Amino acid sequence: MDSMVRNPDVKQRDAAQAVVVAVSSDAIFTPEVEQVHGATEPLRKGDAFSFMKAIQVVNERLLTLNSDETLLFDVILLSNDSEEKHSRIIASAKHYGLDIGRFCFCNKEDSIESLQSNNVKLFLSTDTNDVCKALQKGVPAALLYHQTDPHHQTEDQLKVVFSGDVIGSSEEMLHGLREQGFTETQLQGFKTAKGSVKEFAILMGEMRRRFGLEGSPLCTGLMTAWSSRDVCASALKTLRGWGLLVDEAFCLAGAPRSPILNLVRPHIICLDGLYHMEGFTAMS
Amino acid sequence: MMSVNNGGMRTGQDTAPNGTARASWERTNTMSNPSTPTKHLKSPKPQNAITIAVSSRVLFNMDKEQQIYEQKGMEEYLKYQIEHETEPFGPGPAFPFVKALEAVNTRLRELYPESEELFDVVLMTNNHAHVGLRLINTINHHRLFIERFCMTGGNSPIGYLKAYHTNLYLSADPMKVREALEEGIAAATMFNPPEKRTEVSETQLRVAFDGDAVLFSDESERIYKAHGLDKFFEHEKAHENTLLDHGPLKGFLESLGKLQKKFYAKGQRMDCPIRTYLVTARSAASSGTRALKTLRSWGLDTDEALFLAGAPKGPMLEKIRPHIFFDDQMFHVEGAAELGTVAAHVPYGVAQKRPQKKLAVENAKDSSAAAK
Repeated sequence: MDSMVRNPDVKQRDAAQAVVVAVSSDAIFTPEVEQVHGATEPLRKGDAFSFMKAIQVVNERLLTLNSDETLLFDVILLSNDSEEKHSRIIASAKHYGLDIGRFCFCNKEDSIESLQSNNVKLFLSTDTNDVCKALQKGVPAALLYHQTDPHHQTEDQLKVVFSGDVIGSSEEMLHGLREQGFTETQLQGFKTAKGSVKEFAILMGEMRRRFGLEGSPLCTGLMTAWSSRDVCASALKTLRGWGLLVDEAFCLAGAPRSPILNLVRPHIICLDGLYHMEGFTAMS
Repeated sequence: MMSVNNGGMRTGQDTAPNGTARASWERTNTMSNPSTPTKHLKSPKPQNAITIAVSSRVLFNMDKEQQIYEQKGMEEYLKYQIEHETEPFGPGPAFPFVKALEAVNTRLRELYPESEELFDVVLMTNNHAHVGLRLINTINHHRLFIERFCMTGGNSPIGYLKAYHTNLYLSADPMKVREALEEGIAAATMFNPPEKRTEVSETQLRVAFDGDAVLFSDESERIYKAHGLDKFFEHEKAHENTLLDHGPLKGFLESLGKLQKKFYAKGQRMDCPIRTYLVTARSAASSGTRALKTLRSWGLDTDEALFLAGAPKGPMLEKIRPHIFFDDQMFHVEGAAELGTVAAHVPYGVAQKRPQKKLAVENAKDSSAAAK
């Protein structure tokens, strides 16, 4: 059971046409260490803040190009917080001028259902487990990249990176994973994740095409962490087949990811299933 | 046509499915595929390897495409690249050098199969990822072993050089090369290969270095610039026991020396697939000693030291046939190229601050050509 509150300060998008993104409240506002009863000051900015600002820039540019544009980001803030915090969350969103269309308050156990019933195109969280669970249930999800130095993350360009190791691997290779100790459930999970990534990639491709090659407020990238260049090439082709021509591409072939990611500075990383297995904290 | 290689799944050190499956996961390296019968090799960790970062324009010949970019802009350029995606580029100036690096790696792998002290060539380009498939197709076509690349879509690749622990960066863009040098990374600018190219070995890597402002600092070069060659010789003789400070490519020579010792340790001194040369305007009679003493104090040496006492370097280089020759003066870089040697410019030191007429013209040409 959830309670959905529309934000009166934000123009409501056409949810059927928009890119509905659900963001965990703990990502937008830093969870407080100690809950102070009756506190009213705005909550502190969280990891997803620069992401929120960046999608606002994208939306603004889209509307500048076409005031009737419906392919816009439509954000739902997903909160599992106690009732007494609800108004504070709403007030904080207003305080920072965040472009949040709806607030969804529900219990943790009901989160997945809420995501499914609201046609969410992407669920974002800084928590790998949450992302993993969502993906396994068929809800497209991505990780908010934890920038070690938040001041360095740009707010005027949204950067979305797709992980390509699974996208670029052939059916044979994925089949071979069975011998590596993966269960059928996990393997099915990869297939599901790949499907979710596809949906989101198609949307990003469409959105990216609204802008020119240079000066785009949306920047897309592909990264393969351990695969060979041919898997990376295959991922590039696959994404292209889905309508997404990425701007940047990185093939790490086993090199440590953090130094590279700290330079790429994505806001979100669309994982393709394999990463979750080993808790993404290994990455930062 | 490009083939999807099935043998490419490798682990990074932090992505194993679960603890117990890790070992067998890493063995997945060698899944064979009929279209690529060679065993797929794992890339070394960046901190263990000698990383050579090359830009797309020095690895391959992209003259035609560069022209399209300059004359018709980014969109036409990328459109052209995608349309010609299955046509591999021809070799660029750094190509023979990269091939020779791979030959050394093959020998190293034979002698030290478990070691990660190998050359690792990384493609470092600020080209758009739209060119990615054509670049990968080209790497496949020429059978190059390049598994790592960064296509930064217009952003500067300089930060990535550090992330990969780059030991040497080669680019067609002098500004990027300068930036890299400022970050303490050995770097040099490469140009179109000479019309008439001297044939180079496919089995022995040969690298030639100028001395001052390349292996050594430019302190002595300042004397030469201010007072001429004779005064330079005098000064050097007088200071022959004072060590010179190090220059931007000292570290790279050191890396080569380290690999050479690995061959010597296995009794392959005569047959060593790496050979280094010092090619300097210094004179053996006077100023040469200071250079040699400095190298020795660093625990380094070159297989051959050629003291030209101011004579042109071209003819000597033609005899040596290096895959690459590093010099801080465009005059020597061009002189080498005229006689068939691929030379790279190290824009370091006093030779750059007071450019000769020739250098100024070269700079103007470079900045109009610099796009990627």
